[in-house]
Amino acid sequence: MNWLEFSYLLPLFIIGCGAVILMLLSPVERLSMENFSVLTFVFLTMALIGNLYYFGELRTSFPLANIFSNMIIDDSYAVYFDSILLSGGVVTSLIGTHYFQTKRKFKKEFFSLFLFSLFGMMLLVHANELLTAFIGLEIASLSLYVMIGFQKFDTRRVEASYQYLVLGSISGVFFLLGTALIYAGTGTTMLGEIGYAVDAQVGKDTSLVLIGGTFILMTFLFKISAFPFHNWTLDVYDGSPLPVTAFMAATFKVAIFGFILRIMLVDLDPIREMWDKLFVFIIIATLMYGSFMAVIQKSLKRMLAASSIVHTGYLLIAFVSIGVAGESASSSIIYYLVAYFLSAMGAFGLISYITSNDQLRVTYEDFRGFAHIHPYMAAMLSIFMLSLAGLPGTIGFIGKFYIFTGAIEAGYTVLAVVGVTATFVSIYYYFKLIALMYFYPYSDLENVPPLRGITPITIGFIAIAVIAGGLGNTFIAYFPGVDFLIDNARLSYMSLFIK
Amino acid sequence: MASSLFSYFVVAMILLSIGLVGVFSRKNIFVIYMSIELMLSAINLIFVTLSNYYHSMSAQIIAMMVIAIAAAEAALFLSLIVVLYRRKKTLDSDMYKALAQKETL
Repeated sequence: MNWLEFSYLLPLFIIGCGAVILMLLSPVERLSMENFSVLTFVFLTMALIGNLYYFGELRTSFPLANIFSNMIIDDSYAVYFDSILLSGGVVTSLIGTHYFQTKRKFKKEFFSLFLFSLFGMMLLVHANELLTAFIGLEIASLSLYVMIGFQKFDTRRVEASYQYLVLGSISGVFFLLGTALIYAGTGTTMLGEIGYAVDAQVGKDTSLVLIGGTFILMTFLFKISAFPFHNWTLDVYDGSPLPVTAFMAATFKVAIFGFILRIMLVDLDPIREMWDKLFVFIIIATLMYGSFMAVIQKSLKRMLAASSIVHTGYLLIAFVSIGVAGESASSSIIYYLVAYFLSAMGAFGLISYITSNDQLRVTYEDFRGFAHIHPYMAAMLSIFMLSLAGLPGTIGFIGKFYIFTGAIEAGYTVLAVVGVTATFVSIYYYFKLIALMYFYPYSDLENVPPLRGITPITIGFIAIAVIAGGLGNTFIAYFPGVDFLIDNARLSYMSLFIK
Repeated sequence: MASSLFSYFVVAMILLSIGLVGVFSRKNIFVIYMSIELMLSAINLIFVTLSNYYHSMSAQIIAMMVIAIAAAEAALFLSLIVVLYRRKKTLDSDMYKALAQKETL
């Protein structure tokens, strides 16, 4: 056993073993839910530390090649995405602490499923082979289906779980069909070898790889809820428990982009222009539909779900401009993923904290005059809304700035215009909440838990990170800001092409 | 052999289309589940055919893996069908409308 190579995969092993250990410990009655959230947090922190040890180092390797036979890759790119995913897990476990203890019917197995889901996502980012990626995707998805429907006394949860399960299985079938067609066209499912085979076939008949790639893209468009496959998003996000919604919206999307960028940048690069025209239509439709759905919602949770469709549209703008401005576009995607992750995690987490005592659905009207009773929570919620809308001074602005400049550089001015218009529209539905909180005298929202415990502290830190990411290194020296994240995103992009 | 490859592909695609139509047109959630399993089996058929065509075992291994994943999915599907039936006393997916949003529009 090569211990250095083993240490590259240590975060993956810690999360996987942690999930199994938690599952074995769950029948022990002496351990309470609180012990389990502490244990989950310990596993996640250990994995995150093991991961950050290799952060910012340019390298590509196939660890333990005699066991995994090059099916698992470990490069700076995977390390960067692992860091986002693991911090997503840490933040979810901290935010959920209060929610899982106050809501009924959460059992201890929930934490095991949570770690399994994270393990699947990390496997997806590390995958260097199509079937490995599918297994990772299915581990993550199957655990998520159970996490959504965990409170089975509530019909809405179970129905959301069922809807996601049926549609997710169909999209999984399409992924497998794409794998089969790519295997038929190239004779391999290893990512690097597919690239060589496609290179050799350019100019001849690449239709099998093209159709297979389209099927795989369909799966990913489904999972990130882009236009033709967006219908499940509102219902499933609305029906699931809020911390799980936050986990799905912020973390799962990161993992999906982690894999799709790898396959598109490295293997399907020669034939990527075929999809560009298609993507222009998909992006415009995604942005328009998401904005429309977000404007008409009364429930805050559904509004955030609809706005996550809009953010998918922004990410796809950068995705399409990769063809011309490869390095800056892909690092802007990675940066925007961090920005959206922080803002969405904060917003969903704070709303889950506010509503954890009784209500299931939170409408805009519930927040009327909220700022006069809970000024700090209102301030934090305002920061997240500003960042989601992309106002200067927050991390969301920098993310949008890079995406739109990248689109203009690549010659997609139309997409940049549509994106900016969608941003203007988004001001309406984000600022409606801020206006309701501050400009009205009284509040109806009762049973708000006091500002105490680990959850509000975490959300406060996220709010500070949102501001710090927007200000950059000019104000706070030696603090990881914009430049640090962008530089590392560039580094992880470069590591994809070391052979 | 090429023509036999083609005919196996045609059979697999017909099975896949039957499964897809079944998912979209049937109301019974048990039939929906069976349609998804049919689609997975169709893809397994493609993999096994390709394994014979390329004279390589890797596609057969992939088919085995797909069967294992389909089994995991089956466990989840069946348990969810039981939960849904206990709550609603019906298998008709039109009756599941707790998430339908009529008041928003």
